[in-house]
Amino acid sequence: MLTHLFKLMWNKKRTHTLLIVEIIASFLVLFGVTSLIVFNLRNYQEPIGFAYENVWTLNFNARDQPDSTVGEVMQRVKERIQTYPQVESTTLFSSNAPYTMNMSNGDVTNGNARTLSNQYRTDLDMAKTLNVPVLEGRWFNKSDESADVRTMVINTPLKEALFGDEPALGKQITFGGPGDKHKKEDYFTIVGVIGNFKTQGEYMTNAPGLFQLNKGEARSYTRTALIKVKPGTDASFEAQLTKDLGMLTKDWNIEVSYMENQRQSTHNITLVPVTIFLIISGFLLINVALGLFGVLNVSITKRRSEIGLRRALGATGNGISKQFVGEIWVLATFGLLIGLLFAVQFPLMNVFDLKADVYITAIVLSVVVIYLIVTLCAVFPSRQAAEIQPAVALHEE
Amino acid sequence: MITLQNIEKVYRTSSIETLALNNININIRKGEFVSIMGPSGCGKSTLLNIMGLLDEPSKGSVAIAGQPVKSYRDKELAALRNQKIGFIFQSFHLINDLSVLDNVEIPLLYRPANGKSRLDHAKEALEKVGLSNRMKHFPRQLSGGQKQRVAIARAIVGNPEIILADEPTGNLDSAMGNEIMSILQSLNDDGATIIMVTHDESMAKKTHRLIRLFDGTQVGDSLLQGVAGAGREWQGASMPSVQTLPSTPKL
Ligand SMILES: Nc1ncnc2c1ncn2[C@@H]1O[C@H](COP(=O)(O)OP(=O)(O)O)[C@@H](O)[C@H]1O
Ligand SMILES: [Mg+2]
Repeated sequence: MLTHLFKLMWNKKRTHTLLIVEIIASFLVLFGVTSLIVFNLRNYQEPIGFAYENVWTLNFNARDQPDSTVGEVMQRVKERIQTYPQVESTTLFSSNAPYTMNMSNGDVTNGNARTLSNQYRTDLDMAKTLNVPVLEGRWFNKSDESADVRTMVINTPLKEALFGDEPALGKQITFGGPGDKHKKEDYFTIVGVIGNFKTQGEYMTNAPGLFQLNKGEARSYTRTALIKVKPGTDASFEAQLTKDLGMLTKDWNIEVSYMENQRQSTHNITLVPVTIFLIISGFLLINVALGLFGVLNVSITKRRSEIGLRRALGATGNGISKQFVGEIWVLATFGLLIGLLFAVQFPLMNVFDLKADVYITAIVLSVVVIYLIVTLCAVFPSRQAAEIQPAVALHEE
Repeated sequence: MITLQNIEKVYRTSSIETLALNNININIRKGEFVSIMGPSGCGKSTLLNIMGLLDEPSKGSVAIAGQPVKSYRDKELAALRNQKIGFIFQSFHLINDLSVLDNVEIPLLYRPANGKSRLDHAKEALEKVGLSNRMKHFPRQLSGGQKQRVAIARAIVGNPEIILADEPTGNLDSAMGNEIMSILQSLNDDGATIIMVTHDESMAKKTHRLIRLFDGTQVGDSLLQGVAGAGREWQGASMPSVQTLPSTPKL
């Protein structure tokens, strides 16, 4: 029966061109949306790797203050913050701190492999303040502070990218690619490995990242203070804090945000476009479904005598019903095969640098949804077809 | 082969009620070639539909091949139609988007059979109607006579015991009509029971037995040709012998 339906639909392909094109189009749109959703969901499943609860972000804008003094002032700011009983812990962080929109990245190599990595600068208290577990080795400590010590802490994605399954502790890495000329003193020794560190939040890819200690000149790079306050600390403390710190920093500008709020706005950056895309494609699919439904209804009215004939030759009403659903599956299959030709290019050519399995999952999901939609559209008309009385249908013409 | 008892068929629409068949009693024996004549609208197609289990009588009973049709359940009827009955229609009812061969295979799709045996049977049936050389053609590439031969091949492909033909030559000129008629005759010679509705006296004359209908009532049942003497017994001894009734459509 299936071959029969394939032949029938193949011979009718001209009359169904529009339908097939619609199926191809809706498959591709669906593929786009599901790729996006699968990608974001995959990311969402990867933990962010730090705790944002009760963390305040204080951004210091030093205006035209020379870098040489900024480092000094920031150090005093940190010390001051630590004196409040409301504060559990605080850390200074580079401008690409969690849930800011800033990025800072570059190539990193261990001499063989190369990968793009986020680069963070922070201090001894980061792991504690953001509750980042150290999986191997240790977080920075006093021993890393002397000028001639060159150490780094990396996250697991960076470890995997550079070392695969090999241990990373004690290994040397540096900036740039494996082909570049590196002096021995350009290298940093890895002293610790943390898990994930997704500064842009849940929907960010679990990207490689490395941490350097802010010492010496680099102290001026860390102009963001992350403060873990005790639960229940309220805005009056915020007012007091900014007032006190304002005296220390004079004409600097201080901007306070709660990491929980920042997190929400970063989520919206991902969720809003996805939702819009989803709504648009939803309407598109409804449109296609209605079109399909109409076409099917018309085609069944046109084919009454064929239905009568098939009944006379031994088809049951149910059999007729199944035939029409089968036909629409065959049509959907034609459309999907063509759509797949396009869709498989994405994983094959590694478009947008997404993992192949994101695309493959999206393809599978889209195929399932298309079959579901066409089936839903076919159910009612094919029931109607089953109701047609053979004696009556054969009589007309 | 087919026994109809006290068959009545009433068509009811919201406004009118048509008595299409009234107290029909017919017994058709295995191997008979029966023609049914009568003016347009007298119920011939309705009668054939009831014999072919495409329609349910309002009253009365039908038995096919000795088995009374008790339940008009879709599944059982479909199986009976598929296995016991071959249909031929005036307007051929071929599916234009399928090749001749694929059209002929259709009845076999509704019974368990593999592709190879379906193909073999379809080819064999096409050979019987002399169309082996047109298997890959599409219906639109065929003449009316050829189309009807395809329809006959489709009717016999499942090897049914009964063939029901509703004005099979109605859309054909006389040469093509005769061609179709001789195919039906040879099928009958091979053992098929055939019931044919026709408007054409000369076609009817080539059959064994002629049943006449008028306004839904059976008004004649007569044996034709020499075959009549072949020891057949007619059901209902009171059946009138040959009657002369208008056989042309009346207005
Ligand atoms: N489906 C139907 N609904 C209502 N009336 C019908 C239907 N089919 C046939 N009839 C009526 O039943 C009568 C017999 O029709 P039919 O068997 O087609 O006649 P014939 O084949 O002898 O020309 C006609 O009056 C016709 O109008
Ligand atoms: Mg008729």
